[in-house]
Amino acid sequence: MTSARYDRLINDLKSEYRPQREWAEGRGAFLIYGHFLVGVAAGGWLLSRYYGSFDGLVLSYVLACSGGLAHLVNLARPERVLNMMQRYKTSWVSRGFWGLTFFLIGGVLYLLSRNELGAPLGVESLLSGIGDILAVIGSLTMMGYMGFVYTASKGIPFWNSTLHPVLYIAYAIRGGIAALVLMLALRGHELAGDGGLLELWIGVTAVVIVLWALEIQGAISSGDETAKRSINDLLAGRLAIYFYGGTLVIGLVVPLILTTGTIAPLSANILAVIGLASIIGDFFMKYSSIKAGVYLPVRLPHLHR
Amino acid sequence: MKWGMVIDLKRCVGCYGCQLSCKAEHGTPRGIFFARVLKQEEGQYPTVSQTFLPVLCNHCEDPPCVEACPTGASFIWEDDGTVDIDHDICVGCRTCMLACPYSNRYFNDNEQAYYGDKGQTPFENARTTQHQEGVVMKCNFCRDRRQAGKEPACVANCPTVARHFGDLDDPTSNVSRLIKERAGFVLHPDKGTKPNVYYLPA
Repeated sequence: MTSARYDRLINDLKSEYRPQREWAEGRGAFLIYGHFLVGVAAGGWLLSRYYGSFDGLVLSYVLACSGGLAHLVNLARPERVLNMMQRYKTSWVSRGFWGLTFFLIGGVLYLLSRNELGAPLGVESLLSGIGDILAVIGSLTMMGYMGFVYTASKGIPFWNSTLHPVLYIAYAIRGGIAALVLMLALRGHELAGDGGLLELWIGVTAVVIVLWALEIQGAISSGDETAKRSINDLLAGRLAIYFYGGTLVIGLVVPLILTTGTIAPLSANILAVIGLASIIGDFFMKYSSIKAGVYLPVRLPHLHR
Repeated sequence: MKWGMVIDLKRCVGCYGCQLSCKAEHGTPRGIFFARVLKQEEGQYPTVSQTFLPVLCNHCEDPPCVEACPTGASFIWEDDGTVDIDHDICVGCRTCMLACPYSNRYFNDNEQAYYGDKGQTPFENARTTQHQEGVVMKCNFCRDRRQAGKEPACVANCPTVARHFGDLDDPTSNVSRLIKERAGFVLHPDKGTKPNVYYLPA
């Protein structure tokens, strides 16, 4: 540990509200990248499968592989990664590991049974069916596990909310739609603008906005000073620039305005911008909300406010 | 049997003897404190008082760290109820640190030399290098000392006898008696972790 990091740790330990740095800085930042990539991949796979987009499936698979690598980099002892299969009965991290494993195995089987790749496994084969089921189970697990990991973090009151899993699932779906819109728009596919994808994106975005409002309201009205501190960091403190600039402006305002078609008609380029802006906004949502985590202070009961 | 600790806040004078003896006993690297002493102030000038709050792993009966650990590295010893970490299994994901409501887990990502480029001191060479890097560490109620029939280092070295150690399952033990007679309380009872470290009011 370098002197600067040691001094910062000592200052953190002295401070009343100690920011969590374990999953935000240094090696820990890769967990944010991992959760972002895996979330988009899971949503993207399910939607691509529904809309029959092979390009979307491939993109989702690549994103999931990247997310898995990011998770590995986050581990200080990646050579022991298989140990993470042990505690699936109680640990959401372990369940997420299983979900990603199912997805990576099932996804490759499913892709290899597609005509676009010459269907070496056969289109209607048993392996194709098994791959499909595994990939869907893996996607659903990946979408859900992240929020539950945060909810299980009793040391971070802001995360320790029952809404977090729902919010992460909604964001995974939104990210998946945006990735599919981006991919289809770049490939000039008509499904990008038609097929109800944009309407679905608007609907899920509305759900996301409501969930965020409930999350913030819940933290403020909970009476928990630590959760309020996190909200303060998010809305008026060290993370406000990322929250307002990234999550709100880039992730919500810009794409919502563009979907109206008032600035420019909904061309392939505009659709690509909508998809990209939405994805960037999703990243900043995870970045800012994870970094906003503050440890529950240890105080004598009568000193708790 | 269930090992537990009682800390008498009326007796604690904030000398940091527990913190230092713990570091000496375990040779913990920089930035890792199995035992710490927090200072807490109450009231407003001129009626201000200061309380010292020694903290360590609470060895909870329902430890969220054990539940959150994906590898089984964090576990409860069945014979005495203490919570421990198997450093040979830990992957360094740090999930347990965020699950602990008491912030008593530390990540050892050190280059284990206090003086950096000058290399390790003889003490570091002998003691801190025994610890694995890239794993989470915490208090284990001095398991080695207990197996040798001794009390944990922080208990044995407390000059004001503010710390008591014993079997919480035994209603006649000193810890059970103190908790009952002096209304012992735990930290963050609302978290439902059932800690085995109790405090006696100041």
